[in-house]
Formats: sequence, C-alpha cells, structure tokens
Amino acid sequence: MDPQDLEFINRALDSEVELRDKIRDEVSELDKKTRSMVGVLNKVHSTPPEQISDLVDSVRPSLKDLHTTTGALYALVPPDQFWRWKDMWSNSMRSAVFSATLMEYLTSGTLMSMASVSAALGNEWKDRFALPAEDYLHGLITLVNELSRLAVNAVTLGSYEEPIRISKFVKDLFTGFSMLNLKNDALRRRYDSLKYDLKKIEEVVYDVSLRKLASAK
Amino acid sequence: METDLLRTKDDIVNVFEHFREDLDDNNDRRERLIKSSRDITNLSKKCIFLLHRIATEDSQDDFHSRGMRAVQQARPKLREIQRLFASMKPELVGDLYWRHRKSVSPGLQEYIEALSFSHYLEHGTLVTFDQVQKSIGDEDGPYFPLTISDYLLGLSDLTGELMRFAISAISRKGGRAKANEICAFVRRCKADFEGMCPRVRGLSRKQHVTNSSLQKIEDAAYTIAVRSSEYDLPDDILDDIVARCISGYDTNHRNYDRRPDRTRDRDGDEDDSDYY
Repeated sequence: MDPQDLEFINRALDSEVELRDKIRDEVSELDKKTRSMVGVLNKVHSTPPEQISDLVDSVRPSLKDLHTTTGALYALVPPDQFWRWKDMWSNSMRSAVFSATLMEYLTSGTLMSMASVSAALGNEWKDRFALPAEDYLHGLITLVNELSRLAVNAVTLGSYEEPIRISKFVKDLFTGFSMLNLKNDALRRRYDSLKYDLKKIEEVVYDVSLRKLASAK
Repeated sequence: METDLLRTKDDIVNVFEHFREDLDDNNDRRERLIKSSRDITNLSKKCIFLLHRIATEDSQDDFHSRGMRAVQQARPKLREIQRLFASMKPELVGDLYWRHRKSVSPGLQEYIEALSFSHYLEHGTLVTFDQVQKSIGDEDGPYFPLTISDYLLGLSDLTGELMRFAISAISRKGGRAKANEICAFVRRCKADFEGMCPRVRGLSRKQHVTNSSLQKIEDAAYTIAVRSSEYDLPDDILDDIVARCISGYDTNHRNYDRRPDRTRDRDGDEDDSDYY
C-alpha cells in the first residue's frame, strides 16, 4: 500500500472510531434515561387507578428530556448514514417507544401512532434520524407484554374493568400485527409470543366476568 | 398517511396496512440485492480462476506477458460485474445503501479480490481505495459509497490468491523470482493491515489466513533457497529441479526431504548426470 493511501485509510478509520465513541456516549445516555423511565412506569402495576394519571404526569418531563439526547445523536450521524449506526441505539429507542405508547394508553386508552411517537421522542428527524417501523413495532410488542401483566395486577388492585379494556386494545393490535408479512427475524419471534399474552389476558377476563366482577362488554 | 389518534380497530388496520407495504418493500429489495450480490460473487470467483489459469499456463512467455494476457481476458468479466453494480444503483441511493449494506458486502468483497488480483498482475501493486471506488461508478459518480472495511476485507482475500499463484508459479520458468517478489508483497500487506485490525471488524480473522498464506510462500521460498545453495547452477536448470520438488507441495511436505528423482531427460541439450 503506498504511504499516501495508507495514511488516508488510517485517518478515515480514526475518524470512524472517534464518531463511534461519540455516538456510544450519547447512546449510553439515552439508555440511562429510557431505563429510568421504564423503571418509574413499572409502578403502574402497584398504583391504584385514581393515581395513574399522576404517575404518567411525573414521567412526562423525562420523555421530553429524551429530546436533548436524540437531538445530539441526530447531530452526530452523517447524512444518509442513519442505518449504519442505528443498531447501537435501537434497543434504547424501542424502550422509549414502549414508554411513550404505554403512557398514551394509560391516558387515553388508545394506540399512539408512529408519527406521534416520533414527535414525542425528538423533533428533528428528517432523513438523518428516524424511527423505523421495525423499532416502533418492537416497542408495541413490549407494550402488549406489559399490558398482559397489567391485566393481572389491575384485578389485584380491585380494578375489574381494566382487563376488559386491555383485552379489546390488545386484540385490535394483534389483528394489526397478523396483517404483516414478517420474515424470520426477532420481530417475527416476538410476534409469535404475543399469543401467550393474549391467552393470559383472556383468562383474566374470563375469571372476572365469570364471577360477575365486571360487566361483560 | 396516518391519523394521530387510533381509536378504532379500523384505524389500527389502516396503519398496519401501511407497515405491511413498508416491510414488504424492504424485504423484497433486500432479496433482490442478495441475489445480485450472489451473482457478483460467482462471476468474481470465475474471474479469479481465469486469472490463475492464464497467468500460470505453460508457455514460453515470461510472467509479465502471461499476466498481461490474463488481465486482458479478465477485463470483460470485470466489466460485466461492474454492469451488475450499475444495475443495483437505483436500489442503493441515499440511505438505502447503508440500510442494505450487509446484503451487498459479500459480493463486493469478492469483486475487490478479483479486481485487486488483476491489478496486481498488471501493475505489481495494490489497487488503491480510489481506484476501486472509481471502478464501481461512472461519470456521474459512484454507484454507492465504498467503505474502508469492504475495501480492506476484499484486499485481505487477495493474499490467499497470491499464495496460490506463487506456489503454482514456482514450478514455471522464472517462477522462483516471482515467488520471492510475491512473498515480499504479501509480507508488506500483512504489515499494513496489522495496524488496522482493531478498527475493522472481521479483519483480524482474515489476518490469520493471510499469515498462513504467507507462511506457505515462505516455506516454498525456503525450499528453493536451500536447494539453490546446494548446487551452483544457472537459473533455468534450477527451475527444472524445483518443478519436480514442488509438485507435491500442496498435499504434504514429504517431497521436501527427498531428492527429486529424474526418470526422464528434459531434453537432449543438457547432460543431467553432471548435476547429481
């Protein structure tokens, strides 16, 4: 290799390493933030229904705070290279999607759209930084996993109507998921596990309606 | 495209229909790119075989003209591969390249191996990053950006080809000089790559292969050095001796410790018995 080419390559490799380190710093920041958010939201399983909205409101600032980190990532990623680096933060981003959609469900009982999630996680997306459909869908599956737990715990807390609401919501989501042609990847495997969550929720609904604890829908 | 509030089942179904299109689109594109990449791998392998075949064929020419002939014949093959890359261009614009890079890489690296082998035969040097990037593009610029990692991983495979070339060339006329030249070249490559290993994923594994290739060439060069020190002979006669000794090289080393037996005269001009 002639010295000039060698130097060019070494310089390019160095700047790649440097960029990777910078991104890694931001990603670990993002990871910290999303983990603490998920941690707080975990309290939903032991929070009486009337205090849920306070709990959600207490997390809102953290969700807003994600903007600084996603903004920093957005500034770091070179044009068009989103997909080159995205594996570094997909996991954190999926937790963030989960948190945002769970908060929306707890507030309005509806599914938060991908566009709204994108907006909630950071404003400046464009072509440099985006929420891929795949990560959104991963986040939704985590949401279903969590809701199946919530259905059980809501009953423990005396909220007998909640499992029925959850059941309706999750069934609609499942209908959506079953429309997708998934290839053999992580999303497919997680989709396959959704049926166990559905089954669990169904059992809870069966239990409460059989005992006339809640009015059937 | 999608409503912000998804209240009813129909809303959800609508949104997921959109996701389905999006996912299908990408999966289909991925499949197409993988297919093209496989075709490129195939063509590149054929191209490498062709280069080997012609560069080491039996003839009275020296290595340079044989190499040039090989390069001439490989050129249309390489061009065919470049046309395939051109046809992939629309599927790789903008961020699409980075999204599907993993599907493109295998074929691209194999192509770089073929291109660099042909380049070595023609110029005796390593093809540069710029030259590779230019070869996969036209006046409008590159079809897609070449990454350093693909470039280096492709080059790393070149050393294996050069080893094969050196070993099969060694038994030909002028082959020992060629083998020594290749040996020095591969050694330089190995040294250059060494410092990049920690920064390029997968390079250190290939570096092991480069090491063993280098060792094979060195072993062969060693044999030759030992042999030629035993006899104070002109080059072309040594060539002939080496041809016999090296014939069993690739399978095992047992021929090394045995004197080549001469069962027949090479031609009438020399009296072989003088040398034994």
